[in-house]
Amino acid sequence: MARGKRHRVLPGFGLTCGYTLTYLGLVVLIPLATLFLKTSSLTWVQFWTTVTSERALFAYKLTIGASFLAALVNSVFGLIVAWVLVRYRFPGRAILDALVDLPFALPTAVAGISLCALYAPGGWLGGILQKAGVQVAYAPLGVVIAMVFVSLPFVVRTVQPVLADLDQEVEEASASLGARRWQTLRRVVFPSVLPSLLTGLALAFGRSLGEFGSIVFISGNMPGRTEIASLLILTRLEEFDYAGATAIAVVMLGMSFGMIFVINVLQTWSRRGAV
Amino acid sequence: MSIEIQGVTKVFGDFKALDRIDLTVPSGELVALLGPSGSGKTTLLRVIAGLESADEGSILFDGEDATTRHVRERGVGFVFQHYALFRHMSVFENVAFGLRVRPRKLRPSREDIRERVMKLLKLVQLEHLGKRYPGQLSGGQRQRVALARALAVEPKVLLLDEPFGALDARVRQELRSWLRRLHDEIHVTSVFVTHDQEEALEVADRVVVMSGGRIEQIGTPEEVFHHPANEFVMHFLGNVNVFHGRVEGGKAVFGDVAVEHGETATATRSSEIEPLDDEAKPAKVFIRPHEWDIAVYRNGRPAMEAVVIHVNAAGPVVKVSLLSESGEPVHAELPLEHYRSLELRTGQRVFLSPRKVKVFFD
Repeated sequence: MARGKRHRVLPGFGLTCGYTLTYLGLVVLIPLATLFLKTSSLTWVQFWTTVTSERALFAYKLTIGASFLAALVNSVFGLIVAWVLVRYRFPGRAILDALVDLPFALPTAVAGISLCALYAPGGWLGGILQKAGVQVAYAPLGVVIAMVFVSLPFVVRTVQPVLADLDQEVEEASASLGARRWQTLRRVVFPSVLPSLLTGLALAFGRSLGEFGSIVFISGNMPGRTEIASLLILTRLEEFDYAGATAIAVVMLGMSFGMIFVINVLQTWSRRGAV
Repeated sequence: MSIEIQGVTKVFGDFKALDRIDLTVPSGELVALLGPSGSGKTTLLRVIAGLESADEGSILFDGEDATTRHVRERGVGFVFQHYALFRHMSVFENVAFGLRVRPRKLRPSREDIRERVMKLLKLVQLEHLGKRYPGQLSGGQRQRVALARALAVEPKVLLLDEPFGALDARVRQELRSWLRRLHDEIHVTSVFVTHDQEEALEVADRVVVMSGGRIEQIGTPEEVFHHPANEFVMHFLGNVNVFHGRVEGGKAVFGDVAVEHGETATATRSSEIEPLDDEAKPAKVFIRPHEWDIAVYRNGRPAMEAVVIHVNAAGPVVKVSLLSESGEPVHAELPLEHYRSLELRTGQRVFLSPRKVKVFFD
């Protein structure tokens, strides 16, 4: 064996790395490449008119806007849920903890049906809300609610372990130095969970972008009002406009990649100094 | 600022962490709370700080009742065993924290904060590391940052919970004497918790020995070491040989040895027996390892015979393990020169006479 080579307890770099690359290629890269290949059958002008059509532009806006809103809502409430689960012991805590995972496991169609039944104008909440002048089902708000529902676990589950690891002595130190409760929260606790909160936000955002099943039930799929990008892609496919469908898909891919990249940069920034 | 603790009791579940503690810490003193784990010393410190509330009793700061005062209003600086630094803040920001969170009216100006933090960093000899983050510092440096941070708010009382417990032996030794010098400089009333008797004896003005939620003895390091109030303190402050014997006619008798126990035995908590009683009373005889005279020949002094089992001569004090005639292990310590002149060998028969014994009645 070559001298100076590092000895590891478990060898096999060549094998595992080769496997990783093959797997990533087969499962991720080849499908994505096909997407671009298919899109390239369009000319630039065709591509541009397809992806900037009014209907498409609206679909992007709705999808990204609603996803971002859902991720924001979840980062606030998910943080609170995680806090309660970590910091307090109360009867039923284990059940609550398990409930958080439900949106993970639930088929999205089931979620869609139940949300629809609840928020439709004839539904339990829908009726009340309609009287108050708020329409949820068949409106953009419904899209947001469905996204909030499916992406809740991401924030809770990324923040929870970090909160559990937080040393409570640090909070005591802060109090002994004269900090008020909100100062301790803002200056000590919050910065410590911020990186994980941003990760949770990114995951929730990604999940919401890709959500399809539950939204088609509750949104009503009205072009220019409640139609999300994924649905527009499906519509194009059903019209046998494969190239048009992939063109929109490419745009979505680019945008979500960009978003995730920005959030990653934010994360690195918020983690500076921490070891 | 002086601290008065009156009848403080603290119970966790069915565990009594503190049992009617009374203690006064005079202004400007450096006091050590010494005891094994579970003795309640940390709980007492946390009760003083206001991080824990007493179930009974009261805490007075300068004669003023502070029992219900919140920790942020007590004006105490608290140093944690594991530093509890803010990891996302630089060293400078850590130290500045206590000043920055003050209400606007009381908050010093930006320049004042800078000046004060730099002064403190200088005091703890870290002025060049202000921009670093805690993760980039060694344990000893972190603890000094924690101390500077606690001092930044100009506390009237400084409380330290096992401040050197997580550090390695050499750094510990350094910081110990450094803390003593620092206290001599700034004279803030300080209480520190430790389970290390050496640390307590070396650093503190006064030592409070605790066990089982009660105070066993309060005294200067010399007092508690040379005049322990009871068996527990005797055991806890250094190694000691124990023999089951009796007190008869004013003499301590164990094995074949009968010696004057010069110092009148302090009665144990449970008994008030007059020790000069002629009648034999069962008692425990305590002899510190360095209080033995070792002789190679019998020299007329009352002595017990023993065989040398092991000698550890690495250091200025030689540690000798012996086995007495009756089969009890005995530990003795003697200066290196003396050891050399005796020419002790393993297996050799020697005669041990105690210079000083301490007796506690059973």
